[in-house]
Amino acid sequence: MAASLTGLLKPWTPRVLLVRWSRYNPYYLEPEPRKEVYHIPETELTPEQKEERELKSVRPIKAATNSVTSSVFNDPVLSKFVNMMMKDGDKIIAKGIITQTLENMKRKQVEKYHKAPEGKKAETECNPYAIFHQALENCKPVIGLASIQKGGKFYQVPIPLTDDRRRFLAMKWMITECRDNKHRRTLMYEKLSQELLAAFSKEGNVVKRKHELHKMAESNRAYAHYRWW
Amino acid sequence: MLFNRSLPAPARPSSITTLDGSDSEYVDNYKYLGVWLDCKLSFQTHIKHLQSKIKSRISFLFCNKASFTYAAKHTLVKLTPSITVPSVLSPKPHILPTTACQSEQHLGQYYTVPPSHFHTVFPHGLPPRYQQQVKTFNEGCVMVRQPALELISHLKRADYSKPTLRYLLYGVKGSGKTMSLCHTVHYCSTQGWLVLHIPDAHLWVKNCKELLPSSYHASRFDQPIQASNWLRNFRTTNEHFLSKIKLRQRYVWTKRESTEEGRPLGELVDMGVSRVKSSSDVVGAVLKELRLQAGGTEGGFRLAVAVDGVNGLWGRTTLKKEDKSPVAPEELTLVHNLRKMINNDWCGGAVIATLSQTGSLYAPSSAYLPQELLGEEGFDSMDPFVPVPVSLYSEKEFESCYLYYLDRHWLQHPHSQTEEGKKELIFLSNRNPSVLERLCAFL
Repeated sequence: MAASLTGLLKPWTPRVLLVRWSRYNPYYLEPEPRKEVYHIPETELTPEQKEERELKSVRPIKAATNSVTSSVFNDPVLSKFVNMMMKDGDKIIAKGIITQTLENMKRKQVEKYHKAPEGKKAETECNPYAIFHQALENCKPVIGLASIQKGGKFYQVPIPLTDDRRRFLAMKWMITECRDNKHRRTLMYEKLSQELLAAFSKEGNVVKRKHELHKMAESNRAYAHYRWW
Repeated sequence: MLFNRSLPAPARPSSITTLDGSDSEYVDNYKYLGVWLDCKLSFQTHIKHLQSKIKSRISFLFCNKASFTYAAKHTLVKLTPSITVPSVLSPKPHILPTTACQSEQHLGQYYTVPPSHFHTVFPHGLPPRYQQQVKTFNEGCVMVRQPALELISHLKRADYSKPTLRYLLYGVKGSGKTMSLCHTVHYCSTQGWLVLHIPDAHLWVKNCKELLPSSYHASRFDQPIQASNWLRNFRTTNEHFLSKIKLRQRYVWTKRESTEEGRPLGELVDMGVSRVKSSSDVVGAVLKELRLQAGGTEGGFRLAVAVDGVNGLWGRTTLKKEDKSPVAPEELTLVHNLRKMINNDWCGGAVIATLSQTGSLYAPSSAYLPQELLGEEGFDSMDPFVPVPVSLYSEKEFESCYLYYLDRHWLQHPHSQTEEGKKELIFLSNRNPSVLERLCAFL
C-alpha cells in the first residue's frame, strides 16, 4: 500500500517509510510464518483450512514484523522478553544480552553436569530454554491487587489476573530486579543468569516479591467483595 | 561328514569308499538346502557365513561412519549386534595415540590434549572462546584437520641443516587458523622442540600504556609490560630447556649488572621477568641466543617460532610518541627483534605464522589473503614462504563437530537435535567454525 505512494511523494518526504502500520484495515489478514502449514498436501486439508486458503488468495495480507521468523528456534515468550528489555528500539543489544544470558546459564549448568557424580547427572537441568520457562513460571503471581475507591478511600482489593498480565508482571519484576538491585559493575547478562537460576530453584528476590504479593492479597481478603466484576 | 553331538570330535577316518569302489571326500562343513551344517550340528558355521556376507554388503557404511547422524548409527549398530566395530556409536572423541601418529585417516576426528599440557604448552595462545569451552567441558579436544596435518607432515620431512622454512596459515575470519597453529605447537612440544609462541603480534603494536625510550638504541622504544609478560609465559613453556642452554656472549645491562658467558638461559629470563625496565632487551638477547644455537650439532634442539597475527609486524601502529607523531613498527624493540627471527638466515627450526584480520589495524574487514594483509613490505620479507590455506568445515568435519557438541551435552535446544535444526545451523553458519560455535553457544 505504502510502496505505491513513494512516486507521488514530495522530495522532502523520507523515501523509507514504515510499511507495517499499527492500524490496518480489518480487511487485511495475518501472515502465516510457520513452514509446516505450507507442507500439508492438498488432500489432507480440512474444509476450514481449504476455506482459509481460498480466502488468502483474494484478500491482502499484513506485512510480517521483523521479529517473526519461520526458524525452528523461534520462541514467542523469549521474543516478548527481548522486547521488554529493549531500550530506545535497540533490539540488537537486547537480543545480544539474552543470547549471552542463555549461553552463561548453559555454561554454568554444563560445567556442573560434567563435574557431578554419576547419580546426580540426570538431575542437573542443562537446557537454558527450559530453565528460562520454568523460572518465569515460578515468578508468575496467581492473584493480584487493584486499587478500588469506595467511600472516599482507596482499598487494595485482591483480583484474578489474566495469563498475559501474569506473564507481563513476572518479566517486569525480573528485569527491574536485575537493573536496580544488583551490584553496579556486573553486566546485565551475568545478573540475569544469576536471577533466572535462582528463580528456577524457587529462591531469589523475584520469587520473594511474588510471595509478598500473595501475602498482601491474603491479608486483604476481607475487601474481596469490593470487586464488582 | 560324521555327525556327533558328544564333546570330543570323532576321529577322522582315513578314507571312505563307497559300495561301487570310488572314494568319497570327507568334509567338516557342508551347505545343504541353504543351511551350513557342521559336525556338531550347531548353527555356528551358518552364523559365521551370514556375518561375513553382511559385513561385505554394509562395509561401506562403516567406512563412512563419520557422515551419518547419531540416529542412523544407532539403527546400524542395533541391526548388527554381532559385528564389533568399536567407536561407531561413540561420537566421544577418540584418544588418538599421540600427535605424531595422526594421519589422513584421522581427519575430522577429535583428539584430547592431556590436561597437564594445557598449563605448560598453552599458558597463552589459545583463542579465548576455546579456553572457555575447555573450562566448561572439563576437557580440551582439538579436531584433526587438513592444514594442521599438512604442516606436521612438512615439519617431519624438512631438512633442518638448510635455512628455515616459513609456513603461513591464511583463511577467512573464523576458519580455524589459530587452532591449527596451536595443534602444530602441541605437536612440536610433544616432539621435544623449543617452542617460541607469540600469541598475537598485534598486542605489541597497540594499546601500550608505557613506552620507554630504549637504552640500547637511541631511536627505538621499549615495551616493558608486554615483554615481561611474554617472558613469564616463555619460561612456563620451556622449563626444561632453560638450564640446558648456555649463553655464548656477555650481556651488560647497566653499569653494575651483566650476565656472563656460559650462564644458563634461565638466569637471563628470570632477570628479564624481575627487572621490568630492561625486559625488551632481554627478549632480544634470548631470541638472538636461540637463533645462534638452534641448529647446533652438540646438544642441538629444534626451534619452532609460532607467530599469530604476523601481519601486525609490518603496517602501522596506533602508538604515538610524546610529540604526537606516530610510531613505526620498526621503531619498537620487540618488533625489530621478532622480524630478525622470522628471517630465514638461521637453520635448525621452522617459522609457523598465521595471518589475522581480527586484531589488525587499518586493514579492511574483508581482507584475508597474504598479499592484502601483509602489505608490500611484509610480503617481501616473508617471501619465500609455504602458504597453507585454511578452509571452512567440510561436510564430514561439520558432522564431527555437531556430534561432538551433542556428546558433550552442549546442544540443548530440542529442535537443534533434529534434522531440521541441523539444516538450519548449516544455513546460518555456512560451515564457518567460529560462527557455528557462537550459534551453538545459546542453542
